[in-house]
Amino acid sequence: MKYLDEYRDPQLARTLVARIKEESSRPWVMMEVCGGQTHTIVRQGIGEALSGSVEMIHGPGCPVCVTPLEQIDRALHLASRPEVIFTSFGDMLRVPGSECDLQQIRARGGEVRVVYSPLDALELARNNPDREVVFFAVGFETTAPANAMAVWRARELGVENFSVLVSHVTVPPAMVAILESPDNRVQAFLAAGHVCTVMGWTEYLPLAERYRVPIVVTGFEPLDILEGILMAVRQLESGRYEVENQYVRSVTRQGNLPAQDLVSRVFHLVDRQWRGIGMIPSSGLGLREPFAAHDAERKFALEGITADEPSVCRAGDVLRGRIKPNECGAFGKACTPERPLGAPMVSSEGACAAYYNFKRFPAPDPRAADVAAARAL
Amino acid sequence: MCLGIPGRIVSLSDGGGLLMGMVDFGGVRREVCFAYLDGQVEVGDYAVVHVGFAISRVDEEEARRTYEALKEMSELDELDWMREVAETGLGPLKERPA
Repeated sequence: MKYLDEYRDPQLARTLVARIKEESSRPWVMMEVCGGQTHTIVRQGIGEALSGSVEMIHGPGCPVCVTPLEQIDRALHLASRPEVIFTSFGDMLRVPGSECDLQQIRARGGEVRVVYSPLDALELARNNPDREVVFFAVGFETTAPANAMAVWRARELGVENFSVLVSHVTVPPAMVAILESPDNRVQAFLAAGHVCTVMGWTEYLPLAERYRVPIVVTGFEPLDILEGILMAVRQLESGRYEVENQYVRSVTRQGNLPAQDLVSRVFHLVDRQWRGIGMIPSSGLGLREPFAAHDAERKFALEGITADEPSVCRAGDVLRGRIKPNECGAFGKACTPERPLGAPMVSSEGACAAYYNFKRFPAPDPRAADVAAARAL
Repeated sequence: MCLGIPGRIVSLSDGGGLLMGMVDFGGVRREVCFAYLDGQVEVGDYAVVHVGFAISRVDEEEARRTYEALKEMSELDELDWMREVAETGLGPLKERPA
């Protein structure tokens, strides 16, 4: 248990691990929803520490990973157009499309710019009135308020050369899709802390009730995750299925109301394709009619661009928790963070990249044996 | 990408009807939109900021702990994006498309 010494409070970590093991009368299966949580769980070896008591399945909570290939191809098409300045958060640049990625388009002379805030993209549009500025609006509920504000301001200020390529998704419908899949094994969820910072947690109440599944809103630090798991184990052991909040430092019951308000003014629920998972009804956000002038899909007539996902990449099975990343035939061979086949190998929050970076499956380097030995201590 | 980074509020000002402010993220300063915390923050407070928007107020200890945790996890990508924007700027592009 070497890794427990690296915790902020190793003694508390040991106590939490011991309690989880003591209180689990049988092995439980849980899913963490947030990619940041996945990163922590794999990095800290939490799965191994709880082996036999709790199995963690890594959920689809990485926005980069679930953006459908079709939207990536549309982004690549837009970024290649000479009149377009294509803007994006930095983590989308290496996500593989059908033929290349945004970084390669940039190398070939396409105007692709990394922005920190969607308001940066709007500023770029105001300063370049003779160009079309398109922003790649991806993310979960945490990011939606920022992207909503950029669109709202564009309309308010009359910035006609600013549009957004929207690929927004929301968490609860994905949880429902997982629970309703015939081979579902998930018995409890750790809900994503920062998503709930914006949304609050009341929307999970009907879900917990309907599917009789415990949901614990959890932070992303190692001790947060152990505590969230223990809270979920206690619910499972006592037959409860409630929404509990481990992450009270950041999450309130109602969330950030002004943020929710602007999101609902700019966006409405639409069916959305999730990479590797497929269509989930009412699982995404699309622009409302008053903002249609800022919708890149309409402005540039992108409907004709469609794509089929490559068959060798099993990202879908990973995102649905059917296989662990290292069980994919391409893992660590045809697919590495340097040459990714699928998005979960690109993002640091993707399960595949986390496995590759921290677990070294299948052992490509001689130190792997030492790491395994240290873990077993 | 949903984690956000905590920082200290250095100044607050009106940005054309939006509450804006300068935030210090462990030495890196950047303008941030405070529209979603309007009326809830003051200069010197700490806030969690995600892609240029403050989404929640936190106390100083929580801000420091979270910043350190993100650093350990190498989850400070957003700071790299801030630096890239600071380097390239958001002004008019010099070259016209071919």
